[in-house]
Amino acid sequence: MLRPERMTRTLIVGPREKLASTIETLHAMKLLHVIDHHGEDETFRIGKPLSKASELSESLVKVRSIMNILAVKEPPKETEQVKLEALRQKILTLELNISEEDGTRKKIEGLLSDLTRRVEELRPFATLGLPLDIYRGYDSIAALVGRIPRAEATIAGAIPDAEVFQAGNVVAVFIAKGRAEPASDTLSRIGFSQIDIPKEGGDPKAMLAQTQADEAKWRARLEEVQGRLEKLRERYAGFVVAAQEALEVEVEKAEAPLRFAVSDHSFVIDGWVPATQAKDVVSRLSLLDVHAEASPPPKGHDPEEPPVLLNNPRPARPFEFLIHLYSTPSYHELDPTVFLGIAFPFFFGFMIGDVGYGALFVLFGAIALFKLPKDSVFRRLLLVTGVGGLWALALGLFIFGEAFGMPFHAPPGHPEELSWATFGVNIPLEGLIHKTFDIDDMMYLSILFAALHLGAGFLIGFANEIRQSKKHAIAKLGWFLCLFGIFTLLTYALRWNEIALWVWEVPLGWFPRTIEPLGLSGVLGVTIPLLSLLLILGAFLGFAESVIAPIEVAGLLANIMSYTRLAGIGVGKAAIAGAFNGLIIEDLIFTGDIGYLILGIVLLVLAQLVVFLLAWISAGIQAIRLNYVEAFIKFYKGNGTRFRPFGVRTKQEV
Amino acid sequence: MAVAEMAAISAAITMAATGIATAWAEKVVGGATVGAMAEKPELFGRGLILMVLPETIVVFGLVIAIQLLAIAAKGP
Repeated sequence: MLRPERMTRTLIVGPREKLASTIETLHAMKLLHVIDHHGEDETFRIGKPLSKASELSESLVKVRSIMNILAVKEPPKETEQVKLEALRQKILTLELNISEEDGTRKKIEGLLSDLTRRVEELRPFATLGLPLDIYRGYDSIAALVGRIPRAEATIAGAIPDAEVFQAGNVVAVFIAKGRAEPASDTLSRIGFSQIDIPKEGGDPKAMLAQTQADEAKWRARLEEVQGRLEKLRERYAGFVVAAQEALEVEVEKAEAPLRFAVSDHSFVIDGWVPATQAKDVVSRLSLLDVHAEASPPPKGHDPEEPPVLLNNPRPARPFEFLIHLYSTPSYHELDPTVFLGIAFPFFFGFMIGDVGYGALFVLFGAIALFKLPKDSVFRRLLLVTGVGGLWALALGLFIFGEAFGMPFHAPPGHPEELSWATFGVNIPLEGLIHKTFDIDDMMYLSILFAALHLGAGFLIGFANEIRQSKKHAIAKLGWFLCLFGIFTLLTYALRWNEIALWVWEVPLGWFPRTIEPLGLSGVLGVTIPLLSLLLILGAFLGFAESVIAPIEVAGLLANIMSYTRLAGIGVGKAAIAGAFNGLIIEDLIFTGDIGYLILGIVLLVLAQLVVFLLAWISAGIQAIRLNYVEAFIKFYKGNGTRFRPFGVRTKQEV
Repeated sequence: MAVAEMAAISAAITMAATGIATAWAEKVVGGATVGAMAEKPELFGRGLILMVLPETIVVFGLVIAIQLLAIAAKGP
């Protein structure tokens, strides 16, 4: 469970005529992760696709083009069952129908855009109302037609010795050719923009009416064609989607030889099979008279690293996607899913620490578990926060004594605080830690969790390295000691806090309390336990790793302090919720006015929703970050290849 | 000015400055991350990690602010 599934290297050898049936069997079994052959061998070249491949890919291209024309995007609720033999004929007929309609549609669309342009061109001339022949055919007169920005501006006075026609913001100026240029300058100063005069003659009003009538006619035709295409989509969407799926599978099979080594008479398929199923694969293939041989990977670093198939108990599986999001583990290291699966929900729950929100997270998690499709990202997200919600529920009930940002009972010494008891809801549980008043408790707990989390990380790192390199393993151990040293030091320094004192007295009761070595008590006015100091020097075991490793002690301290975000978010969330509750309940709901009461309840629900969403996002991101950034870099390498067996269709992962 | 007031103002400055610093750093990282993700959507995981790295600044600010507030509450 802590390691990825063991793999065996499997070599499949057979005569070429068995290739098709072998592919069929392997595709159905979905157990072989193929290692692509690169064809660097004289005898064994890269195989050629099966003979049916080109026909199948052609059909697939056609289906995709049909999907495109029909704009089929979402898979319809019911997809049809398709038979491969009849598929090609049906696709060809459909393509013929559709491409004819599509051609008509494109033609009409082209025509319509021409007509629209023509209408725009004629419209200003139709407003002016002059016959088009009037604008040309003069020896000494030039015609300037154009628009001006404001209809109320009058042109007539601006240009002397010219005849001006104006209708709204369209202007036609007739002027002697010699004076056309200065006139045009004057015009452009008031924002005149010239338009071209249509080539043909005639009455522009009549021409405009004719063009508009044509446009309307063609638009009606376009709608007709679109209606027909719409009907075709309704009728064939199911078929097209099913056909595409079936063809994609067939094309994958037909093109599989491109990944194999093939000689004139035989083929070789190289790949990885999960060790537990290797026997099964070998025996199934021997039924086809094809030889298969499985052997475990050689010890040490193989240039061909086996692919990684995570193998976790069911409850940990929803967390696997968070591991792949970071990086797939390498085959030779421990799978950190269980580590993350314990730490992430706990941190999330600690930051939320509220019965009400916790219950909501659990509820959403349960809905996701039963209602959402298995491969949906939302389902996995809601599931992992749902598990976190369980912790939030438990901690909120027994440690923080809080629901929806309101404590069960007013904290001791602060009777003015709102609590559930104010409303007569008496919950027989007393919060042990009150977030907004016991910040130091929250801080110390964060440091304690940091030590446990990072300590576990170093130990996993030690287990990973011990088989690879003793030097690195010793360095990990050194860091573990250093972490312990820093932790004892912090606990000693913070023992004015009750929890820290308890940790110092009870679990760390055995820890040597010598703080006056050689009579050097209080050098620089500071007292520190001697052993803590010595343990921190454990970082120098990191010399084995790198000379500058010991400098990282400060980095480790920063990592530990980074966990105080657990306290920060927890307190922050409680403070925001408390502020909303206080303001709305005391100033609106308690006024006794019915209008304010209703307004207050609406606002309260909205405010709680905001706090809930904020908590979800910030606690979720911070909890995953503590694992990714602080803990994983202590031990986790990743960079493995995911196990993708031949025959399993890969979907785009987030 | 009394120590308590100074400590309270210092806490406010600490929170504001570290908050701004974090926001500025995340702006830079976030812009680059979104750009990278447009090219390679599978970088989402790495991008998220880089994106939340600067939040440590404001967390440290919070720790220091809480210490300062303790001084403000107790006096020197």
